Amino acid sequence: MTARSPRGNLSESPPGAPSMEPFEAGLPVAGRNALDHLFSATYEELRRLASSVRRGDPSATLNPTALVNEAWMKMAKSPALAATSRLHFKRIAARAMRQILIEAARRRNAGKRGGGQDVTLSFDDSYQKAPSCGEDLLRLDSALDELARMNPRQATLVESRFFGGLDIAEAAALLNVSEATVLRDWRAAKAWLAHELREAG
Amino acid sequence: MRVLKVAEMDSARWQKIQNLFHQAADFPETEQRAFLESECAEDPALVREVVILLREDAHGASMLDGDIAQIAHQILHDPAGAPEAFKEFGPYRIVKTLGEGGMGIVYLAERKDLGSQVAIKILRDAWLSPARRELFAAEQRTLAQLNHPSIARLYDADTSPDGSPFFVMEYVEGVPLTLYCDKNNCSVHGRLRLFRSVCEAVLYAHQHAVIHRDLKPSNVLVKNDETIRLLDFGISRHIQSLGESVEKTMTGLRLMTPAYAAPEQIRGEQVGIHSDVYSLGVILYELLAGCLPFDFSNRTPAQAEKILTQQETEKPSAAADRTVRLPEHADAAAPASKAEWADLDVLCLTAMHKDPQRRYRSVEALIRDIDHYLKGEALEAQPDTLAYRFRKFVTRNRQPVAAVALVFTLVVGLVIFFTVRLAIARNAALAEAARTQRIQKFMTNLFQGGDASAAPAESLRVITLLDRGVQEAQSLNAEPEVQADLYETLGTIYQKLGKLDEANTLLNSSFEERKALFGSDAAPVAESMVALGLLRDDQARLPEAERMVREGLAMSKRRLPPNHPAVAKATSALGKVLEDRGSYGEAIKTLDEAVRLQSEKGAPTPELAVSLFELANTHFYAGHYDVSESINERLLPMYRQIYGERHPRVADILINLGAIKFDLGHYPQAESYDRQALEMVQAWYGKDNPETASDLTLLARALVREDRYDEAVDLLQQSLTIKERVYGKVHPTVASTLNEMGSAALRQHKNDVAEQDFLRMVDIYRQVYGEHHYLFAVALSNLGSVYSGREEWTRAEKIYRQVIPIFTESQSANHINTGIARIKLGRTLLRQNRFAEAEAESRAGYEILVKQMDANVSWLVNARKDLAEEYDALKQPEQAARLRAEAAALDTKISDSAKK
Repeated sequence: MTARSPRGNLSESPPGAPSMEPFEAGLPVAGRNALDHLFSATYEELRRLASSVRRGDPSATLNPTALVNEAWMKMAKSPALAATSRLHFKRIAARAMRQILIEAARRRNAGKRGGGQDVTLSFDDSYQKAPSCGEDLLRLDSALDELARMNPRQATLVESRFFGGLDIAEAAALLNVSEATVLRDWRAAKAWLAHELREAG
Repeated sequence: MRVLKVAEMDSARWQKIQNLFHQAADFPETEQRAFLESECAEDPALVREVVILLREDAHGASMLDGDIAQIAHQILHDPAGAPEAFKEFGPYRIVKTLGEGGMGIVYLAERKDLGSQVAIKILRDAWLSPARRELFAAEQRTLAQLNHPSIARLYDADTSPDGSPFFVMEYVEGVPLTLYCDKNNCSVHGRLRLFRSVCEAVLYAHQHAVIHRDLKPSNVLVKNDETIRLLDFGISRHIQSLGESVEKTMTGLRLMTPAYAAPEQIRGEQVGIHSDVYSLGVILYELLAGCLPFDFSNRTPAQAEKILTQQETEKPSAAADRTVRLPEHADAAAPASKAEWADLDVLCLTAMHKDPQRRYRSVEALIRDIDHYLKGEALEAQPDTLAYRFRKFVTRNRQPVAAVALVFTLVVGLVIFFTVRLAIARNAALAEAARTQRIQKFMTNLFQGGDASAAPAESLRVITLLDRGVQEAQSLNAEPEVQADLYETLGTIYQKLGKLDEANTLLNSSFEERKALFGSDAAPVAESMVALGLLRDDQARLPEAERMVREGLAMSKRRLPPNHPAVAKATSALGKVLEDRGSYGEAIKTLDEAVRLQSEKGAPTPELAVSLFELANTHFYAGHYDVSESINERLLPMYRQIYGERHPRVADILINLGAIKFDLGHYPQAESYDRQALEMVQAWYGKDNPETASDLTLLARALVREDRYDEAVDLLQQSLTIKERVYGKVHPTVASTLNEMGSAALRQHKNDVAEQDFLRMVDIYRQVYGEHHYLFAVALSNLGSVYSGREEWTRAEKIYRQVIPIFTESQSANHINTGIARIKLGRTLLRQNRFAEAEAESRAGYEILVKQMDANVSWLVNARKDLAEEYDALKQPEQAARLRAEAAALDTKISDSAKK
């Protein structure tokens, strides 16, 4: 599978936008606009938090789940989010987090290719796996898009759990299915994605 | 090889695979394959696919089983994953990062060629959503549209090499509003004045149909020079028109600070002008009380909303009582009296009323009440009970009245207000007349205080509003008295905007209506005559102006007590007309009288300031530089008090002080005054404004005299470019810059350049004013200097002979201009050795000037020299000796006073 071109063809809509979840698809245009903005706002806040991580602020946490929670704590005070449930927020934050990590991975890949440096030469052990980790993320991103085509609910589930830290109960509430269904969906999706990652690598 | 080809797999097949997967997973690993083969013997591919999934499931070591935190750590800590570090944007070099938000990064940058500092805001991840790009573009459009000294300016916009949009704006180095006030221990008045400039900036934005929506102290920076800048239009909203305060969608979900958000904003309802008014109210509250009205820290929007709807807003006075005891607020805004606090409470709580309908209807209404407060007048937000107004009256006459700076944009708002008022006046008939009159006076003062010569586009807007006002006034036939008042006001405003014909029609209508109402000998008729006289003065119909104003003044004196303000006003008007006629002696006497009448009040009023201003100018024209200087020095603090420290009117005084130094030959001092004035005017109007251009010209004039031609010519070029762009090539202000350019060239003996400049100047004045106007004569006279410089004496002579009758007719035979022209004519005749004729002109000119000017002005010095030469040639040595002795005595006197 080829990597997404950096921007170009994506410039008109956020990745994955066509497969917005069913429970949102029915919203009137104004509602969708609001969602778009909520997504932007969440992205911005997470982005800001992620930057503080990058700058080495010792108080900043690296765990995306914690970041999402922190973002929620901040944003919950915003009047704009008055009408948004915490769950809804976390689901959107998960998507934003996905975008942030994918974007960073993509940029890093581009940088390494451009620089022409052999990445493994001078890095210490903790970084040796870094390149594959970034590429894995990019592969996961594509695979998730494909999964969304086959079963949008599963894609949402994986995105929310993996990038947003939703637990099984939250995911069940979000997707309006039983916890057992969530577990089954998760298990199958995970197996399929694992294979995708392995094969593409 | 990939087995589970997505392209070949649809949702149904995927579902089938999953079902088999779950069923098989319940079997022990060894029996799974057998189960699958029995289930789907006809489809071996399907079996293979499920087996693969089962293997992955048992393996359980994919990325998804790992900790996302670790992955994030690696990705986010990898410097290559950080956003590109831009070093340069076109002509700008990045100095450092100023701020980083989710939306973008703001850099401090430097222009490589000019070294000037700017802020650059870049949108990152523009691809993310159209909404982000739209928000960013909207902010940029908004900034481009807003051109106000208190709003950070947009300079440039472009796209970086990687495709990220960015824009370049003014870099503001300052302190957030509340912090500034606390740090500098600002008084209540000081705080209100700063707050007022914030309101002005917001009002300006509203007038351009922009709602800020995120007003808070951290978005208002106070610079070192005490000017403010309103920042961050990131979530501002453009409305289609001022009437429309409705938005269709809820947007701008970026984190706005709930503490400053209006209740309707917190509820996610429609926001509009009224929401900005609310936020301003909260800012004012915090400035006055030293704390926020509600504590929303750690509250959700729902909780905040509950607090807002259920809790009464505590009066800022009460809150201040509490906070002042706290040590960190020991300095806060304490000195207001009880009565003043009562007003401040009303002002603040009206602005932040929970019901948008009961707030100030506009920022302009809020500003009006701030002004009322600062002047010690009754607030509009409070019912004017008799006791209340009495109390106000007492305070007003005890304290010096401090009016504040009024800007042009405010005028636009007021005209809107006024138009609305007119509708009310029509309905409420005469009962409203007193009210209308107050508004009328207020508005006129406003125009006198403010400056109508901003960009032409803006005055056009006012004109449109005025035209509407006139239509409204015309429908007031049932109340001719009110109608006449309104005609006069509107006429005066047209006059100040340079629409003299419209002004004439309206002022005449007012005059006729008042005559019909009150008879031909009455105080209101007198007022009309004075107004018409001043219009004639502007029309350069000076004898008629003098006649009308004199008649009006006499009528006022007959009909009114001698200390009535109308008498003083008419006296001042006569002084102005006499000044323009060049009757300086009489003008000075008249203006002295006006000043005496207007000083009786005690506190300085704008009317007194106007009279003093004219008096200072008259003394200046008459060459009484010492007197003019001392009056201007007296005016400086007065203007600062009336208009505010950095108002362009204050700059006017500095310019006049500079002009005195200039005429006295103290060019470095003149330069220093001109630079101060320029800085002020530039800060007020912006760099690219004709007012700024005029001051550039003045500064250049001083530099020319310091022989700093390169700097001067550069400034003059800038000035000329601005003026030509704004006014076109044929305009009097363009001519005045050409005049200085010509003079600079003349001094450098570049006679050909000078000739071209002066010829253009002559041509402009001819087209604009005709050949009988004194300015046309001034231009010709300067052209004459070019010919004198080339020693083309007959050509110069011809010009001066053309000029003298124009000055005589348009000004008077005794006007300084006439005198100067005759002295210059004398010089050309002297050089042609026509000594008798020369002596007659030099002497006539000398006598005109010596009565009106200080003995050591350059023209008199030159005239004495010429006369001495002429008397030598005419064999009158005793006359020559007398003049030389006079000159020597003056020299000694000057060097003595210089030693002192």
